[in-house]
Amino acid sequence: MLVYTVRRVLSSIPILILASVLTFVLIDVSGDPLSDLRMQQPPPDPSVIQLAEERLYLDRSMPERYWLWMTGIGGHGDIGLLQGKFGPSTQSTTYDIGENLMMRLGTTLRLVGAAMVFAFGLAVIAGVVSAMRQYSKLDYSLTFIGFLALAMPVFWFAGIIQQAGVGFNELAGSMVFATIGDGQFQAQGLDFWGQIGNTFKYMTLPTIVLMLTSFASWSRYQRTSMLEVLNSDYVRLARAKGLPNRVVIRRHALRTALIPLTTVVAVGVAGVIDGAILTERVFQWRGLGEFFITAVEKNDSYALMAWLLLSGTMVIVANLIADLLYGVLDPRIRYE
Amino acid sequence: MTTTDQKTTEATAPTDSDVVLEVRDLSVTFPSDDGPLPAVREVSYVLRRGETLGIVGESGSGKSVTSMAIMGLLPKNARVEGSAKVLGQEVLGLKDAQISKVRGNRIAMIFQDPLTSLNPVYTVGYQISEAVLAHRKVGKKAAMDRALELLKLVGIPHPEQRIKQYPHELSGGMRQRVVIAIAMANEPDVIIADEPTTALDVTVQAQVLEALEAARRETGAAMVLITHDLGVVAGHVDRVGVMYGGRLVETGSVEDVFYRPRMPYALGLLGSLPRLDEERHERLTPIVGTPPSLLALPKGCAFAPRCPMARDICREEEPRLLTAAGGGERRPAVPEETGVHAAACHFSEELEGMGPGDLFKGMAADAATVEEAAEAEERAAEALEEVAEDAAQESAEKAAEEGAARSGKAGEVILTVQDLVKNFPIRSKGLLKRKIGEVQAVSGISLELRERETLALVGESGCGKSTTARLMLQLIKQTAGEVSYKGQALHTLSARQMRPLRRDLQLVFQDPFASLDPRMTVSDIVAEPMRIHGRNAKEARARVRELLDLVGLSPEHGSRYPHEFSGGQRQRIGIARALALNPKVLVLDEPVSALDVSIQAGVINLLEDLQEELGLSYLFVSHDLSVVKHIADRVAVMYLGKIVETGTTDQLFGAPAHPYTQALISAIPLPDPVKERTRERIVVTGDVPSPADPPSGCRFRTRCPKFAGVLSEAERTKCVEEPPELIDRGTGHRDACHYSEARELL
Repeated sequence: MLVYTVRRVLSSIPILILASVLTFVLIDVSGDPLSDLRMQQPPPDPSVIQLAEERLYLDRSMPERYWLWMTGIGGHGDIGLLQGKFGPSTQSTTYDIGENLMMRLGTTLRLVGAAMVFAFGLAVIAGVVSAMRQYSKLDYSLTFIGFLALAMPVFWFAGIIQQAGVGFNELAGSMVFATIGDGQFQAQGLDFWGQIGNTFKYMTLPTIVLMLTSFASWSRYQRTSMLEVLNSDYVRLARAKGLPNRVVIRRHALRTALIPLTTVVAVGVAGVIDGAILTERVFQWRGLGEFFITAVEKNDSYALMAWLLLSGTMVIVANLIADLLYGVLDPRIRYE
Repeated sequence: MTTTDQKTTEATAPTDSDVVLEVRDLSVTFPSDDGPLPAVREVSYVLRRGETLGIVGESGSGKSVTSMAIMGLLPKNARVEGSAKVLGQEVLGLKDAQISKVRGNRIAMIFQDPLTSLNPVYTVGYQISEAVLAHRKVGKKAAMDRALELLKLVGIPHPEQRIKQYPHELSGGMRQRVVIAIAMANEPDVIIADEPTTALDVTVQAQVLEALEAARRETGAAMVLITHDLGVVAGHVDRVGVMYGGRLVETGSVEDVFYRPRMPYALGLLGSLPRLDEERHERLTPIVGTPPSLLALPKGCAFAPRCPMARDICREEEPRLLTAAGGGERRPAVPEETGVHAAACHFSEELEGMGPGDLFKGMAADAATVEEAAEAEERAAEALEEVAEDAAQESAEKAAEEGAARSGKAGEVILTVQDLVKNFPIRSKGLLKRKIGEVQAVSGISLELRERETLALVGESGCGKSTTARLMLQLIKQTAGEVSYKGQALHTLSARQMRPLRRDLQLVFQDPFASLDPRMTVSDIVAEPMRIHGRNAKEARARVRELLDLVGLSPEHGSRYPHEFSGGQRQRIGIARALALNPKVLVLDEPVSALDVSIQAGVINLLEDLQEELGLSYLFVSHDLSVVKHIADRVAVMYLGKIVETGTTDQLFGAPAHPYTQALISAIPLPDPVKERTRERIVVTGDVPSPADPPSGCRFRTRCPKFAGVLSEAERTKCVEEPPELIDRGTGHRDACHYSEARELL
């Protein structure tokens, strides 16, 4: 198992490097970080542009720049991924990409984590219930909700939920759900219970929005996988042994039906991160989504690279975890 | 008939405390889109302590559904009526909490497919102990100890290690023994075994049946053995119930049913079976038609449309199960009178002294009713004659050219392989997929196929017989060795050069359900080879009609799609497609193993007719020695990629010399209760070793009864060190054993 883990970790390194090359090239050809400066009226002094180019290392060729970005050798001390530096920003000379990224990572992870946990938990419950009562009214209702959620674009659904939150607050006469902001400022100086209340207030609505799409597809998946297992010979044998129904469902059906879902959830991480960008935008959270959008707007190529590398790493790590979990859950692919 | 009378008197004084399972008027109906589907209709039987009841029937006869109903394992939408009592307690309609106290405790079940019966994520020890813990108040440790004890009982070697392993680490035969161990965990009163050995190889089947006997001895349980294999029934049960169309149509002692069947269907089943224990009789006697669709059961007797002696009353009135033994008034059979021979036929007494051949003609056609069959038979005969005339003309011309007429059946060698080797690489699971070893699927075999001859290639799963067949057609490339057709070396040809020769070499597949494209009409399927080889469309259409006639189907069937046909009919379509290009050689890869017995016989007869008339050569790949004995002229037995024995069918079955051949033959159950119970057995232990790492020297030595029992230490050394050559012991009968000695087994 240890050897397998080490091997899996090592084999994900070339994937990350390849991904970084690809994104670096794509970002590099897709826009000039200094286009705003060059377009200024009246045109700035050529020396200003030259200074900016030097600061952003745009005076070097693309392969050189990649090497520099990776290692930081020959730079001005603000670049070099392997030294933990993400490079200069177009936004201002004092803007530290790494610091900003880390600050926002916490905010986003909170949202993504909560959404995934709830989506997974509810999907398993809904899938199992649907499968056990196949073709019942409950099954049809859950199926309907699932497809509805799948069909709704996140930004639109986010708008609806936000409006609903506003309406609810008006009805209740107090602000039960916050519809704007991530609540980090408000959390300062609160005691433990205050923290909990604050978290609930600010996180409920965005979490619902973000989890719904994943919940919908995962619950469909869980239903199919559960149905397959429920009709399997070993579940029949478990019943024939004389195990009571709930033991059969929990121990033999659910346990095995969860295995394929781990892969689906791992692959779904990328989708959740996408969704987080839109959700954060609508609810005006200062998270990675906002960081990403600003970076795009400002043609901040190093910030973009940092963001892509981070989200790429998150996806790869999630897949790695799923693979390892698979080994734990399914003895057939356990490695010696 | 005095013996039967004695039995009757015994049975009329039953001690009812002995009854462990009592099924009365059990009916199961499934709702379907096309209306209710009556899968089981009014089945009644009684099972006493220590007794074994065999339930025989073809697919769809309701034999499995009956026992699933008793176990309460049917889907919720099934409607179950009647009564089933286990030790006097009604089990139908019990709530989950109550039925789970009975299941696994009083009544246990063994399922067909051992590969899917065990949960892949738990160790076998856990799964056995789970059954113990479900019904006994013992600790986990005690339950594990019991699991170990059970594994020993069912004959699993090294149980201490096996108990910690997961199902995928065990072979099919061992997994089925684990399932048997689970069934006997709580010493149930009834064990239901549903096709327990169907998915297994014959030598493993013998081992598993042995374990099943052990389970029965150990627990003293009564057993219901459900199977389609009449041989298994003959050897292992006391009484038989034959099911057809959801009903029990004949019940009685195993001797009564096998030697004196009183229902035409039972007689037909026996007649359609190729026999290992009899001289090859001219033709099998198949039952025409296919089992009835349960959605549209005929009024009257369900068997009437297929029955040659059906009369008006049979189509009007469904016969009840009546006593059938010797003379006198027939009366309704009572389930408690277990010794009584009963049959559901209006004319049982007419079957007295009749053999299957007297009642069923050897019809090649696969029609729905007797009349249609006769018609199709006629058409097929005409078609055959026509084709034969053409063929005769052709060959006459050829013969004139060559200036010599052919004599005898087998002609000159047409297809040969020499020292054929095929290795499949084993690759590592990492990114690089390095080659880390080789599976020797075929390692150095030589074969010759002659004109108008059937050469059978037999062996258990994984012995390389299908790979050999594919190599001979050059569908895959060999690692080494030569294949030549009529003196031309095929292995040197490119795909393009090979194409014209493909006309002569055609293939019929095992699974008639997967080998026909469901989106093509039958005409298109049969015409496709002609299209590929550039025949014009009009000619091809005429040829399709001719071919459908030839294989016993009606030309009007051409516009239908494969799903509208039964398995037997589909296999005929597959054969028609293979014949489309007038091939010389047909490779038949298990052509009848997916078919029910009564259907299988018709296809075998058809193959024989076609060979006779068209002068085909067959390479017949099969694991079923009974079928092989019936159809083949020569036989080659394969084990782990090597041929261990080859000879004419008479030589090989009359006096098998290699211990493996002997074991194979003796493992085939004979459908004859007396012979099956008294014959000499040569038992093989264990499973086939991995072909990735075959044993040194003789590959069979790890399972060889001779190696284990008879040979001295010095003699064994030779087996370990020196791979035996395939040596001719005179008369062309060759075997690859250092210590071979011919034995008569049948």
